[in-house]
Amino acid sequence: MAAQETFFGHSLKVDKTRCLGCTTCMRSCPTGAIRIRGGKAVMNDNKCVDCGNCMKVCPHKAIYIQQDDFALIHNYEYRVCLVPTTFIGQFEEKFKTREIYACLKKLGFTHIYEVEHEVEYIVELYNKYIAKHPEIRTFISPYCPAVIRLIQVRFPSLVDNIIKVRAPFELAAHIMTNRLMDEGAKREDIGVFYVTPCAAKIAAVKYPVSNKETRINGVINMDFLFNKVQLMLRGSNNNAEAINHSLTSRDILWPLPGGEASLFNGSHYAVDGLQNVLNFLERLEDEAVDAQGLVEMRICDQGCVGGVLATNNRFVARKRLEDRAHLLDKPDRPLNRYTRYNNPDFCKWIDEQMEIDEITPHSIYKLDDNFAEAIKMAERMKKIEKALPGVNCSACGAPSCAALAEDIVRGDADISSCMFINRHTQASEDAIRDIWGDRIKTRTITNDNNE
Amino acid sequence: MHYTFEIERGNFTDAGQASSSVKRTLKHLGVAPANIKRTVVALFEAEINAIAHAYGGTIDVDIDDEKIVMVVADTGPGIPNLDLAMQEGWSTASPEVREMGYGAGMGLPNIKKNTDDLKIESTVGVGTTVTMTVFFA
Repeated sequence: MAAQETFFGHSLKVDKTRCLGCTTCMRSCPTGAIRIRGGKAVMNDNKCVDCGNCMKVCPHKAIYIQQDDFALIHNYEYRVCLVPTTFIGQFEEKFKTREIYACLKKLGFTHIYEVEHEVEYIVELYNKYIAKHPEIRTFISPYCPAVIRLIQVRFPSLVDNIIKVRAPFELAAHIMTNRLMDEGAKREDIGVFYVTPCAAKIAAVKYPVSNKETRINGVINMDFLFNKVQLMLRGSNNNAEAINHSLTSRDILWPLPGGEASLFNGSHYAVDGLQNVLNFLERLEDEAVDAQGLVEMRICDQGCVGGVLATNNRFVARKRLEDRAHLLDKPDRPLNRYTRYNNPDFCKWIDEQMEIDEITPHSIYKLDDNFAEAIKMAERMKKIEKALPGVNCSACGAPSCAALAEDIVRGDADISSCMFINRHTQASEDAIRDIWGDRIKTRTITNDNNE
Repeated sequence: MHYTFEIERGNFTDAGQASSSVKRTLKHLGVAPANIKRTVVALFEAEINAIAHAYGGTIDVDIDDEKIVMVVADTGPGIPNLDLAMQEGWSTASPEVREMGYGAGMGLPNIKKNTDDLKIESTVGVGTTVTMTVFFA
């Protein structure tokens, strides 16, 4: 295989001691990023978009998300837990929000700040961006980082349709550090830790699309924190400490499908779920749908409560968030916005911090930089595909016969990997050993050997 | 390289298979996204035209290193007045076709807008052949 430049980094990893090479993840990957090599799933960093689908479908819990060491928080005097409302949706209603936050404080955080405090301003940034770009008809929300990457690798013609605004957690981290600095804290003493419901948001923090500085010092997996808090809530002596929070009902609903769209006044669409997102982008690319306005897209079914690190059932979590939002739905609730939002200089500065300079396309399809060579390869690929059985058995270590054909012309696989071709040659036996290791033995069945 | 696709009368549900397949190939070849879009939009429109108006037909696609040529040939009623058909908003589509969201009279004008060369040969009562070319450079 030719040495390739790596464009993306990822937090999704394969635990080789648990992986059996069962092909389940490989067949469900929306970008064909997984192959089986040496009997284990192997990910291609340039194709993976961190959607987390592989982790959701893995029957052996062999795919995991790397996270920062929790003890890192103690490197800072001010320890901010940046929590999305999705986290609250994981808990039964009998636990008050402030009880949950009290537990987070007991775990060592000094401040709790909800990401959704900033979503109203995010929508203002969307509106500013849309007003500046009258030439664009369809604006795709930049909220779900897996959608951004999916567009970069599979729908490169749509990169200019993405609103170039960074994520709400980045804005919340900026605002919270500024709030603490207003109160006299030193920048280097503040540590901001984001609680993530999915792999894509970790990747967005660690390997951002934007070159701008991040104010997030670490990422904590939601399931890890859920387990800790759940244990404490079940403990008998839980002295709840009141913490003010001033979210509106619409802020609380932000992570659910339609969350962005409901804060946006113009024409809008809300698409959630991997297959739905793929279909919509495909149709959008062909101009077979004419979507004018904002298209909110979440790669997880039911939005962020469907994230791979969300512990509870997505429909239950959705209902809980809706119930909590309903409780908060009081008409006279004041919007407790950060006061410096009233200062035009501050807004100018924060707007700049929130801009994404460029989203570059990284097509996973291109066969060769040289067009004539690419045509030759495409011709060959077509021929090989015809010669393959078309059953998509995945025994070759590729997700489909078409994928194997592509791997062959790229020089990443050999036709002898196909179990249906050249079954009785030394090359096929070697190939089976290369793909599956020693676990599966090649056998020749004859009339004398009826097992 | 060469591709052939069949067109079945009235089968709107499967429309877009030819354009999807061509799109995949052009992505493999690394054709600029803007040119892929023009090609796919034109081919999809031509396919819909044939599905809506003709009795069946074929799509032949040839790709070389500078262009893609797409020939959509159908047997059908033909186009009696080509000048009218090229006007935006002119349509002879049936109410059934319009109900499905097609037949707004934008097909041929849209094809013209998205291709570098467009040739239409039509004989009333026999059929129509639409030849579309998009240059990559």
